[in-house]
Amino acid sequence: MRYFNLYSSILITKGANRILVSDLQRNNSELQSLELCEIIDEFKTNSIEEVFAFYDDESKEIAQEYLDFLLEKEYGFVTAGDWDRNFAPLSLEYVDYSEISNLFMERNELAIPKNLIQSIDNLQISHLVIFCKGKASLEDFLKLEKDFENSTIESLEVFAPYQTEIDEAFIQHLSQNASRIYNLVFYNCEKEPFKVENTFKFELLFTQQNLKINSCGKVDLKYFDTNIKKVLEAINHNSCLNKKIGIDAEGNIKNCPAMLQSFGNINETSLEDVLLQQNFTNYWNLTKDDINVCKHCEFRNVCTDCRAFTEQTHINKEGLDVSKPLKCGYDPYTNQWDEWSTNPLKQKAIQNYSL
Amino acid sequence: MILILSSNLEPTTNEVLMWLNKMNKSYIRVHEDEFFEIKIINKKFFLESYRNSFFLEDISSVWYRRGGGLKFKRETYKNPAVNLNMNEAYHWLEDYVIKKLESKKHINKQRNSKLNKLLVLEEAQKVGLLVPKYFLAENTDDVIINKMITKSYTENIILEAVNENYDGILYTAVVAEHEKKPFFPTFFQDKIEKEYEIRSFYLDGKIWSTAIISQNDKQTKTDYRKYNVQTPNRNVPYNLPPEIEICLTKLFQVLDVNCGSADFIKGKDGKFYFLEINPLGQFLGLSSICNYSLDKEIAQFL
Repeated sequence: MRYFNLYSSILITKGANRILVSDLQRNNSELQSLELCEIIDEFKTNSIEEVFAFYDDESKEIAQEYLDFLLEKEYGFVTAGDWDRNFAPLSLEYVDYSEISNLFMERNELAIPKNLIQSIDNLQISHLVIFCKGKASLEDFLKLEKDFENSTIESLEVFAPYQTEIDEAFIQHLSQNASRIYNLVFYNCEKEPFKVENTFKFELLFTQQNLKINSCGKVDLKYFDTNIKKVLEAINHNSCLNKKIGIDAEGNIKNCPAMLQSFGNINETSLEDVLLQQNFTNYWNLTKDDINVCKHCEFRNVCTDCRAFTEQTHINKEGLDVSKPLKCGYDPYTNQWDEWSTNPLKQKAIQNYSL
Repeated sequence: MILILSSNLEPTTNEVLMWLNKMNKSYIRVHEDEFFEIKIINKKFFLESYRNSFFLEDISSVWYRRGGGLKFKRETYKNPAVNLNMNEAYHWLEDYVIKKLESKKHINKQRNSKLNKLLVLEEAQKVGLLVPKYFLAENTDDVIINKMITKSYTENIILEAVNENYDGILYTAVVAEHEKKPFFPTFFQDKIEKEYEIRSFYLDGKIWSTAIISQNDKQTKTDYRKYNVQTPNRNVPYNLPPEIEICLTKLFQVLDVNCGSADFIKGKDGKFYFLEINPLGQFLGLSSICNYSLDKEIAQFL
């Protein structure tokens, strides 16, 4: 007798009509049929010969094709006599040393107050995203880099409005002096000031779009990422808000700057104190399994989620919004991706958010 | 206070330090280019370098990671007789410090951080592990072509700038032809037809194993470190059979090493063959693929 052994790094997420097969070692995912999922389940408790015996001749051929596919993709291997029982399951526990991994700030200006820099250091935050509404000069950018020179911040991402001062020399100078900025987006830019080639230390984008804080929260295939750490986080926590702090333009400390609920203002309280408030972390443990519709979606373990803009249809017992993200056009029951913004059922929520 | 001896930018050390921060454990990180002066303050041993200082008795545990261990400053004296005598005095003070540190809770020791691969193979057989047949020779007279491999018995397998601008790495290779001339004593070993390889991380009696399946891939067939970037080898969590784990634990105890990585081959014959132990190897890559959090385990132990 021969036996099929599925590698434990292959994670199968069952949706309403399809499955997503995620290879957590090779960092890719692919859509497959529920039928493949069923046959994998049968291989878990039966030998290959036994599984084939369940089927008539025609179906047997299909079963063989599925087995060939699993082997070709190296999703598993075949042993004789018994399963290789020394292969152990993958622990799905999410383990991370950071208190806060990500700070997302909406700012009127690029400069960061001193007390905030101190808090960022105390909390050993590693990633900082700044959505800047006001103009930022070269000096502002250099000051930002300097402020975090000896900090735990590893990466800085900045969105700022385009202004005519920004030309190739500006960017060149910044690139030579930047060590933490890894992504730079200038929005509201009619025309690229120069042709961007990959010669800078950071990714650079000029966009015509007039970005706003409420431009965030789009759910789309292109944002999905199969990465063992992100997937384990999504299985155990909220993939967008876990270990995240948001600060809006007025200085209100939130789970995300685009959300309504505030836990205090940076002029009156510190990030450290806000973290001690019990309900600040309520959303951190809300997984996709708790969210309406998403719980039946095959993409739920690779999805970016959004709690700031939702369809506003469901609130759970703890008062948390468990509605589907507003800016997701996918329907796991029909497997269709449609434009979310024109969906008639979403118009009320779109109006509520004044999008 | 935890004492950590490591090389300056060693990434594994950085990760463990982040865990120690999270656990609120205090530590001193000593760099490879740091030299200590031994002083006595209030009758107590005090060590001081340009960036660190501590009382010997305040150290609760020691992690010997990399970088050659604790190094000391010595004065030289003009009079050769005095110099000789002072050197001996230095030696005994340094010896005292190193031995006191080794008597505390520790991960590996300064004095046996490097293992003699040949002795390890002998000890492995004594504790009951199966080792593919091997011998040293200066010619290929007894080597069976295509049935035996040769590999380095040195600790360092990287040849820095061997060819002007390139570093070389000494991989394991199958012996494909006889050599006419004699050569430097070389290690030859039976080639085992393998099902897969196993890398086992050992820490103070606990073992975390990873199966490395490379057989489908010619590039990695004899040495999995020859990475295939496009389709990496399958690395998955694995449990060695309990009887092998008991032997491996015994081997680490006999060698007086309490942390390291051991390599095995699971042969097509179903047997587990022990290859070698590396006490200082990198392990966080496999740790994250298998979600073992070995950096956290180390921080917890210290």
